[in-house]
Amino acid sequence: MKKFLSVFKISLQQEFAYRLNFIMWRVRNVMQFFLVFFLWSSIFSDPSRIVFGYDKAKILTYVFGILVIRAIVFSAKSDEVAKQIGLGEISTYLLKPINFFKYWFTRDIASKVLNLAFGFFEIILLFFILRPPFFFQGNPFYLLTFLISVVFAIMLYFLFNSLLNLSTFWMPEMGWAMQFLFVVVVTEFLSGAVFPLDIFPRVFQNVIYMLPFPYFVFFPLQIYLGKFSYEMVLNGLLIGGGWLIILYFTIGYIWSKGLKKYSAEGI
Amino acid sequence: MEKAILVDHLVKNYEVLEKEPGLTGALEAIFSPKKKTVRALKNISFAIQPGELVGFIGPNGAGKTTTLKILSGLLYPTAGFIQVLGFDPWERKSEYLKQISLVMGQKNQLWWDLPAIETFKLNAAIYELSAKEYEENLKELVALLEVEKILNIQVRRLSLSQRMRLELIAALLHKPNILFLDEPTIGLDLVAQQKMRDFIYEYNKKNNATILLTSHNMTDLVDLARRVIVIDEGRILFDGALEELVGRFAKEKIIRVYLSREDDIKKMEEIGKIKKISFPQVILSVPRTTVAVAAAELLQDFPVADLTIEEIPIEEIVRKIFKGETSIKRKTE
Repeated sequence: MKKFLSVFKISLQQEFAYRLNFIMWRVRNVMQFFLVFFLWSSIFSDPSRIVFGYDKAKILTYVFGILVIRAIVFSAKSDEVAKQIGLGEISTYLLKPINFFKYWFTRDIASKVLNLAFGFFEIILLFFILRPPFFFQGNPFYLLTFLISVVFAIMLYFLFNSLLNLSTFWMPEMGWAMQFLFVVVVTEFLSGAVFPLDIFPRVFQNVIYMLPFPYFVFFPLQIYLGKFSYEMVLNGLLIGGGWLIILYFTIGYIWSKGLKKYSAEGI
Repeated sequence: MEKAILVDHLVKNYEVLEKEPGLTGALEAIFSPKKKTVRALKNISFAIQPGELVGFIGPNGAGKTTTLKILSGLLYPTAGFIQVLGFDPWERKSEYLKQISLVMGQKNQLWWDLPAIETFKLNAAIYELSAKEYEENLKELVALLEVEKILNIQVRRLSLSQRMRLELIAALLHKPNILFLDEPTIGLDLVAQQKMRDFIYEYNKKNNATILLTSHNMTDLVDLARRVIVIDEGRILFDGALEELVGRFAKEKIIRVYLSREDDIKKMEEIGKIKKISFPQVILSVPRTTVAVAAAELLQDFPVADLTIEEIPIEEIVRKIFKGETSIKRKTE
């Protein structure tokens, strides 16, 4: 445990090494939020309007929620792994008595904690600037399952990201392309980080719910907003949990295959 | 005595994609990749005793680094048996990894944006060193490598030789029993090279550590390694004392002649290859097998004041091995 505490600490130090970068990253986060906020505000300029079951308070809670959930789920350092496999840099970790995945998970957590801490202040600030009508969930079932689903989302995203990273073992030059395709196109859209997924046709939604992506962002937020029945929530947790197990074992298998293929080039 | 390292009939094949040059080549490689198997190690065997310092020599691409990577658990061997300290390196057990270290000239594990001391603290935690062990080991290494003043400076602000010494500390903080050193002096200036050699020598003596070293730096080998393993094209050509290398690889001997008066030196070319003339000294190189005859002829036909027969210097032999000019292949398979 002490190992991982040390990894955690040094990760935070690393983040602060480039102060300007750090500040720009935060500014970008806020700008991104403004953009989405004003877009949806103008669509819901009439306060009584309801689109796809969202009124103004819920859609704004949804976009605020995206800011928070993204900060927690999507901020990751383990994106570097693909590049490091391609360049042979993971040798450094393989030589050490530390679990590779736990190491990177810890680094991700450090990044998330930092992101969340700053995200928290930004949200309070934005809240007072924009004074949006907000939806507060009071139902303990939804609050509890919301927390569980966020934990699931963190683990799912980590595993999914790791899986993409491991593809570099077989396609050293393709790593970044895979990441671009999946992170930008698939995860952003299918996770509901750009717009709520329930604006899609029913059939399409049903397909998406069977995939791991909505469990990154959309699912936790829907629970918080209380838009799912209890049954749907439990169902969703079951599917998300199922994906966790599938991805966990797939990664174990692919990792051991990949290492045999690994040629530790460069170093 | 229990062997520290045991390698038996080790084979390693790589699969690489072949790419034609240019854009068309790149496109071709995507749609119809041509695979080629590279046979990096073809059945090599050797054993190393605890505390031995062994030099690995051979031209580039001979398989030296591949062997080190397999021994440290980075690469999966295609076939053969490997045991280091009783462990199978490939399993990468914590108890094993805590006892070894692989140091490569071009590798960096230091956190670039932070002072080196932070990496050391992290490593201490990863290798589960007690506070006392950490303090002691660090103090010793810092003193040996003379880096006390740069511990708290961001790594990226340091010079290469400063960084290399810090890298070495990061790699040795857990006091490994087995050390794999790949080109430890590469890129260092002469003074720094000598420091590094002194350090390796000391470390080996002090901790009775087993050290396997590859280097293109002759002085590294001549100063440090009592025993060398010559490897070329994935095969071991020689395994033995450094001094014996000469007998095995030198096809020629050197005859140094001092003439008592001037004479037609050109005629000497019939006896051996003239390497250098600086009257009254002439240096000839002659095949080992005929050296006695050649010496007799010289004494008979020329006004010789003095004559010595010498071995080719070891440096020259090693240089030839690096160039891959070792026409003498293995005597027996």
